[in-house]
Amino acid sequence: MMATAAKHAPMNLLQPTVLASLSNLELVAKAVVEGFVVGLHRSPKFGFSQEFVEYRAYTEGDDPRYVDWNVFARTGKTYIKRFLGETNSHLMIMLDSSASMGFGSKGVTKLQYGKFLGASLAYMASRQHDAVGVMVFADEVMEYRPPASRSGSLQGVIHTLDKAQPALGTHLGKPMSRFQERIKRRGLVVVISDFYCDAEELLENVRPLAMQGQDVVLFHLLDADEINPNIKQSTLYEDMETGHSIEVSPVYMNKDYRERIQAHIASIQKAASGMNADHMLINTGEPLDKALHSYLTFREKRG
Amino acid sequence: MSLITPLFLLGLLGIALPWWLHRLETQTTEREKFATTRFLEASKKRIHVQRKLRFLLLMALRMLFLALLAFAFARPILLQDPEAAVTADTTHHVIVVDSSFSMNQGGKFAAAQERANTIVNGMGEADIASLYSASTNVATITEPTADAAALAQDISTLEPGNGRLDLGAMISSLNGLVDVSDANFVFHLVGDFQQTSQAVRFADMIPDVINGRPVTLDIQQAAAVPEANYTVDSVVVENRATVVANVRAFNADGAGSVERQVSLSINGVEQQQQTLGIPASGAYLVQFDAVTFGEGDNRVDIALSPADSLPQDDVRHTVFDNAPPAPVLVLTDDPSSLGLTYLRAALETAPRGYSVDITDVSDFDMRVMQRYPWLIIDDIGIVNPTLDAGLRDYINGGGSVFAAAGPRTGALDTMPLLGTAITASVSDPRAAPAQISRIDTTHPVLSDSSGWSAVNARVVRVALDPSDQILITQAPNFPVLVERQIGAGRLLLLTTSIDNSASDLPVKPVFVSFVAKAAQYLSNEKLLVKEQLADSFLQLAQTGGASGQVVDPDGENLLSLQDTTIAQDVQLNKRGYYQVFTPGGEVLVAVNPDIRESDPTPMPPATLQNWQNVVAGTAPVETADLADNAGASAVASTRDDTLEEVEIWRFFLVLLGLMVLAESLLGNRYLNMKTGSF
Repeated sequence: MMATAAKHAPMNLLQPTVLASLSNLELVAKAVVEGFVVGLHRSPKFGFSQEFVEYRAYTEGDDPRYVDWNVFARTGKTYIKRFLGETNSHLMIMLDSSASMGFGSKGVTKLQYGKFLGASLAYMASRQHDAVGVMVFADEVMEYRPPASRSGSLQGVIHTLDKAQPALGTHLGKPMSRFQERIKRRGLVVVISDFYCDAEELLENVRPLAMQGQDVVLFHLLDADEINPNIKQSTLYEDMETGHSIEVSPVYMNKDYRERIQAHIASIQKAASGMNADHMLINTGEPLDKALHSYLTFREKRG
Repeated sequence: MSLITPLFLLGLLGIALPWWLHRLETQTTEREKFATTRFLEASKKRIHVQRKLRFLLLMALRMLFLALLAFAFARPILLQDPEAAVTADTTHHVIVVDSSFSMNQGGKFAAAQERANTIVNGMGEADIASLYSASTNVATITEPTADAAALAQDISTLEPGNGRLDLGAMISSLNGLVDVSDANFVFHLVGDFQQTSQAVRFADMIPDVINGRPVTLDIQQAAAVPEANYTVDSVVVENRATVVANVRAFNADGAGSVERQVSLSINGVEQQQQTLGIPASGAYLVQFDAVTFGEGDNRVDIALSPADSLPQDDVRHTVFDNAPPAPVLVLTDDPSSLGLTYLRAALETAPRGYSVDITDVSDFDMRVMQRYPWLIIDDIGIVNPTLDAGLRDYINGGGSVFAAAGPRTGALDTMPLLGTAITASVSDPRAAPAQISRIDTTHPVLSDSSGWSAVNARVVRVALDPSDQILITQAPNFPVLVERQIGAGRLLLLTTSIDNSASDLPVKPVFVSFVAKAAQYLSNEKLLVKEQLADSFLQLAQTGGASGQVVDPDGENLLSLQDTTIAQDVQLNKRGYYQVFTPGGEVLVAVNPDIRESDPTPMPPATLQNWQNVVAGTAPVETADLADNAGASAVASTRDDTLEEVEIWRFFLVLLGLMVLAESLLGNRYLNMKTGSF
């Protein structure tokens, strides 16, 4: 038990509130990924790996950092190292920065959590030399950075994520069509959002990506108070996107609302399943590594 | 409402307790931001509002409960006014006693008081009465009350005055004075009902309908048989040496010719006496010759003896102003001109009386101007530059000049004193004169404008300054009379002549009054009417200034020190001489009753009966009936003369009981709703 406790001690660093206290998003990503990877028995086949597989002749355009200079010294030929699971694909992180993502009841907003998650995923992809891009969207595309694997692209992605601020409403149509226009190559598309949209709208806008051959993963971020609210008295709630105010009784909020939000989650899940996309519901009150672990386990099982 | 123990009102502070407690219990709605409201039910808002309203109602009930409790302990009482209980079954007796001058005659007023008392004693138990005294004005003596003793006391304090009663004015005043209520109104008019007191219009003597019901008019005539009365109607002083008095007899048809002594007193000293037989009905002129007067105001008294039934009007007071005529300087170049003749005649016949000092301009010493408050120039064309400068200094210093534009003016290019150009002259005698087109009747000189329209004149057309006041204009637009203020004085310029060469003004009747008013205006004199009727008001401004003191015939000062500077008028309600002291000197004002009050002839019985019938269409209330009810007076007089105190704390207790019930029900409902809703 002591060993387990000691092993889990660093994990406390991954509590969202602790991460929120770190001002450097790159540092957050590094802390999450390094601590997380160390805890794994071996690298899963999730597309990111550090295990060496083979050499391949250097061709123009390859990153010179991966040239094996020992081989060059011995043979006089330039080879670069290839790793297990390296797919030479790209990771596209789509982060929802709508006003509703600014909600957070435990000190960390969903947007902050999404930034941590996106940065961590980007960091993991960068470790195995995959190209990483990012798109921050709300009603419109707010920021866009195409996938790239060259040096410094990770910092660019993290900087773009870091700049995101909650604004406007949620609308998936324009960001998805923009993505389709620009990205023709197949890869992993991670959508981080609270998905306050209809399941039909989600299907309509995301299905083309799946049809395009993209591997779509939906990270459905919800605050603990959004999933299981517990209020003691009538409360006047103001919609963060529309500004509309509604007074709600505790009876309704603690019972009827929960049923409704669960039904909504189920509908999103069903829609994701319908287009062969992965759906991960993440409670932003839980540690980030736990969420990542759950996802990687899920991916691993899925094969 | 009053309170017996008002200290308990401090308990009202207790209403702060529920307010404070309810503030603690009040749940203010939490306002929070939420990611989305798409899954929330907005309809629950209604529940909160209802709860809050009930909550406030409960708080209000609790606060009211405590307030009522505090009031109940303070023992509130209602002071019940007998009039407040007036109903349609109540009779309001409006008793009006004539206190005019004529009621001094014989035993009229005592009889009137007795009749008024009879009315009071005849009041029913539920009746109320109010008492008024009617003379020149109607005064409220007693407000509506059921207290017969108080009414009788007030009746006994009434006295006849010196004013005149007009029945129309009296009814009009009563319409405004009587407090309208649901009671039946009976107007009891007690007096001598002189024929002379009847209103000019009979309709003015009809009281207003009260609450849709006509009032009942009860006429109580105080003197069934009128007595004869002799009085001095008027006194006139002629030629400063003769006094003519008019002695009249009223209602003396049955008495025949009566011998009376008529005496004349000047300033309290009897100078002459005559014995004459006064005819039964009519007037008799008495003349006293070679009367000697003192300088200034003289007190002229004509007295009849022996005294009759109304001795107060046996003496007539008159003031004769024996002041010497005021001197007026007239500058001319022709002392024998026709214009001067007209001017002198007009001035000497003016009410004030002026003595005209005619001076040839060639012999004129300008230093004498300062002796005169104002002067006349019969032709302004005679003013040379030296005289012009001297006259300007004179006017600047406060003097006034009345000047006419005679033949010499027509030869000038510039109008003296005005200094403006003469655009056309009156030199052409063949030019047709024109009529007056506009008169400023607001100016004191022209207050009596009748006769000016008949005046024809040829005028000197002179340019004027904008500040000049044009008082008379001739068609099409030529000034005839112009006033200019120069320093402290003024110039009144007639742009035509005062002889009949260029104008027919001197031969028109308006000329005399115009000259008299111009003299009064320019000399800054204000005439005081030195003979007034009793109960009239003396306008102090007429005495030459509001600052002054008035001493009544009994030698009492009427004005306080403060009033001597602010009082505008004083009522003259005594017979005799009032002394009015002003900065300009002492003035006497004689006050006599209205001669119509001396005529005791009553209104015909048919007229009185007709009056009662017209007012109510009902039979008059008989005095005998009232007397029959006198027995009830004992009951009425034993009534408590203070307002009845009614304690109302019992009502508060009943209200408190209801409040407790309501509070319990509402509180219980509120608690049920609270647990069931959340």
